[in-house]
Amino acid sequence: MLRRLPATLVNQIAAGEVVERPASALKELVENALDAGATRIDATLAEAGRSLIAVLDDGRGMTPEEMELAVERHATSKLPDDDLLDIAFLGFRGEALPSIASVARLSLTSRPRDQAADSAWRLTVEGGEKRDLVPAAHPPGTRVEVRDLFFATPARLKFLKSNRAEQAAAIDALQRLGMAHPEVAFTLSDGQRRMVDLPALPPDLLADPASARLSRLTRVLGRDFADNALAVDAEREGVRLVGHIGLPTFTRSTAQAQYLFVNGRPVRDRLLTGAVRGAYQDVLAGHRHPVLALYVEIDPREVDVNVHPAKAEVRFRDPALVRGLIVGALRHTLAQAGVRTATTVSQQALGAVRPEGSAPLARAGQGGRQGWHGGWGTWSPAPPSAEAIAAGMASQAPAANGLADQGRLAGWELPPQGRDPANQSDPAPPPEPPGADHPLGVARGQVHDTYIVAETPDGLVIVDQHAAHERLVLERMSAALAESGVPRQALLIPEVVELDPAAAERLAARAEELADLGLVLEAFGPGTLIVRETPALLGETDVQGLIRDLADELAETDHTTALKQRLGDVCATLACHGSVRAGRRLSLTEMNALLRQMEATPRSGQCNHGRPTWVRLDKTDIERLFGRR
Amino acid sequence: MKLTIERTALLKSLGHVQSVVERRNTLAILSNVLLTAGPEGLSLNATDMDLEIVETAPAEVVGEGATTAPAHTLYDIVRKLPDGAQVELSFEPEDGQLTLRSGRSRFALAALPAGEFPAMSSGAYGHTFSLAAGELRSLIDRTRFAISTEETRYYLNGIFLHAADNGGVAVLRAVATDGHRLARVEMPLPEGAAGMPSVIVPRKAVAELRKLIDEADDDITVSLSESRIRFAFGSATLTSKLIDGTFPDYERVIPTDNDKLLEADCKLLHQAVDRVSAISSEKSRAIKVSLEKGSLTLSASSPEAGSAVEEIEAGYEGPPLEIGFNSRYLLDILQQVDGDAARFAIADNASPTVVQDVADQTAVYVLMPMRV
Repeated sequence: MLRRLPATLVNQIAAGEVVERPASALKELVENALDAGATRIDATLAEAGRSLIAVLDDGRGMTPEEMELAVERHATSKLPDDDLLDIAFLGFRGEALPSIASVARLSLTSRPRDQAADSAWRLTVEGGEKRDLVPAAHPPGTRVEVRDLFFATPARLKFLKSNRAEQAAAIDALQRLGMAHPEVAFTLSDGQRRMVDLPALPPDLLADPASARLSRLTRVLGRDFADNALAVDAEREGVRLVGHIGLPTFTRSTAQAQYLFVNGRPVRDRLLTGAVRGAYQDVLAGHRHPVLALYVEIDPREVDVNVHPAKAEVRFRDPALVRGLIVGALRHTLAQAGVRTATTVSQQALGAVRPEGSAPLARAGQGGRQGWHGGWGTWSPAPPSAEAIAAGMASQAPAANGLADQGRLAGWELPPQGRDPANQSDPAPPPEPPGADHPLGVARGQVHDTYIVAETPDGLVIVDQHAAHERLVLERMSAALAESGVPRQALLIPEVVELDPAAAERLAARAEELADLGLVLEAFGPGTLIVRETPALLGETDVQGLIRDLADELAETDHTTALKQRLGDVCATLACHGSVRAGRRLSLTEMNALLRQMEATPRSGQCNHGRPTWVRLDKTDIERLFGRR
Repeated sequence: MKLTIERTALLKSLGHVQSVVERRNTLAILSNVLLTAGPEGLSLNATDMDLEIVETAPAEVVGEGATTAPAHTLYDIVRKLPDGAQVELSFEPEDGQLTLRSGRSRFALAALPAGEFPAMSSGAYGHTFSLAAGELRSLIDRTRFAISTEETRYYLNGIFLHAADNGGVAVLRAVATDGHRLARVEMPLPEGAAGMPSVIVPRKAVAELRKLIDEADDDITVSLSESRIRFAFGSATLTSKLIDGTFPDYERVIPTDNDKLLEADCKLLHQAVDRVSAISSEKSRAIKVSLEKGSLTLSASSPEAGSAVEEIEAGYEGPPLEIGFNSRYLLDILQQVDGDAARFAIADNASPTVVQDVADQTAVYVLMPMRV
């Protein structure tokens, strides 16, 4: 029998889309509070939201009439002009409250902002059944309480995950909103404990949006983030991209800590994943993911937020523009930051460098060959070494002053008494004073024929010579490749590749872009591609495998990094063979030349495998090591 | 089993068979060589399950029998024995060890029972013909450089051997290609080869075969079945499985109407390409050939190394033309041309170029240009 479904059932079906778990209910309620102009939002969960989700705000509040209407389906104050294309609020569908009300016990308590204390009212709805309005006591603003979520839809209740997982999802949802709205204070507690505490920022900080954002991000992502973040600010054709991205050496093992906000709305979009992968492609270690938060500000008419019931996805009118903007801005920012590496790296290093007691000192005195033990193991400052450094650090001292011959810190490798006067007169260039225009400082010597030690005005820089040079060679090769184009080897027997028709079409649509990378292909009937030329760099390559990888990647991320990756791998191997090895002794001139090249080369802060090429020890850190601070 | 054998004879035979044995094996018996003492002398047999070489060496057999011993170890020992030494091999099934004695040296090697050794089933060979060692060598030498090493296109990982008809003359043809270049060499069809199946001989078999040919001066008997090929020399026999696949229709990619003809001194050109390619980048090895009336200019450039230009005299009458090649491919082909001059037939810079020896039309090389 065909019939119209009762309103309660309709709402429950809608609830299935909008409210799938406590976190989504919390998100809807907090978004309502934000749309109501709240400056402070306090949320409470009990049993991870199963028994209670309460959201208290200090927004503009509602009159009793508005409250009655608010729990009706498709009632909203957020579409003043009835224009779905011009959406300035987080919500607009008018679905959240009735949907939640249909599957839970909902109570609204509200007092309009500028009205007297006796104008507060409470409305209760149970499983879609509206009760009478009763007077209540409440400060200006609104309190929404959702009790026994999904009590009306037991099936949904069964599909909830563990309390811990649901709670984590709720925290994540609130944090995302918190990152999008640094001007609002957020808290989330479970009755006893504050799980999220994002205090309001002082007005002077709020005056500068970038630092306000960074401050809020740091609160969420941890203190490390601030030290390792680069500010992004770019604009193209009316689309603005701001935010902060982590250095390639500051990574996580999953892509979880990557946040995208479009017009203040947190969204998950594979566009972001792909664009980020593209931008970080050759500076990141395999299987690591950068930490970042990006905010896209775009004309609301250029983006469709009405494609997903929970609005977790958006559709851009011109996705290529947004993708291009993100990749371009990120690459540019990373390139600018060429000579920064994660402070966490040097902090870890510093943690490992512990001042030793008297025993190693005694040993040092006997052997005179103390220095670095096993990389970052222990650093035992032997007295002669210390002297040698001191001599070196008195930067104007001439070379003969016990500093270096052949790029070695005298006294670090040679026993003091064994120093050959002939060596000292070796024509090492006189060390120049470290200048502010050389962020990597002036080379003072080489340890273990592998690491260059350089002095800067405010600290000490240690460079891994092989990793650094490898990076320089790779950057040079990539630049040459970009300039002269990728040579292509024509195939005597064109390779025919069978794919599913959609994948073949996607690849064929990118034929021009692939041709620039040396891969010439064309469509050859539905689901079939014919490959005519391949990048000569790859030699005799598995064309089928390459095409399949590209097709998979296009389907997943809309990008063609697989090919760039393979070319990059070949270049990287060549670069590795063509660069200065660890264990090769360098002269001071060579070392300084390497440092200057690193400063001039973008993305030289990490090697091709994403490891840092250099670390810095601040003078204060060194002083702390010796207990001077 | 007990026998005495000249070190030189043993070394030669072991040298032939041991290279079939892979360095690392999951099956222990495959690391071993099967030694059989019989009335003919000592027979040595090694296999990797796809390829088998059996060789008989003259030996003074005291007691017949068979066993297996680690091929590489045995070879290593025999290689280090002094020249002219006599080697005594003995095996008693009870102690499970092969004992090798020579002069004052004595080795005991772990043996595995001969019964476990995988024998390649002999099967019937439908076609047998023989050809001179020199002819087979020429077929292999002039094609093997083009064999593909890309494992995914397994059907290109060998030499395609088949009977064909070239302008009414029946020929035996060897063809190899890696998709970038192709080599096709032919010789008059030997007696008995008519109607032979078209087969693909795997790369490893080609390499081992080539070593055996070097020491052969008699005719070589080739036997074929659908899945196997056997080459019988005087004292050695190589049997290989064939690649089970379809070789592409190569005739279609050999152009016949390329109208721009270039003739150049092969040696001069080879040397010039070799010099100029010193500049081209390490991996892509691109080199540009510019043709003008009567001359040929080779050039290469790389952003890092700089640039190189060399002009040589050449017979060319066509319109000016620029075409890019992988210099290594070009050198490979020029190396195969024995005569003084090579003839290039070119259509344009995107189509295959045909190279032949002016004095010898039995070999055709096809080279795909590079777009630089």
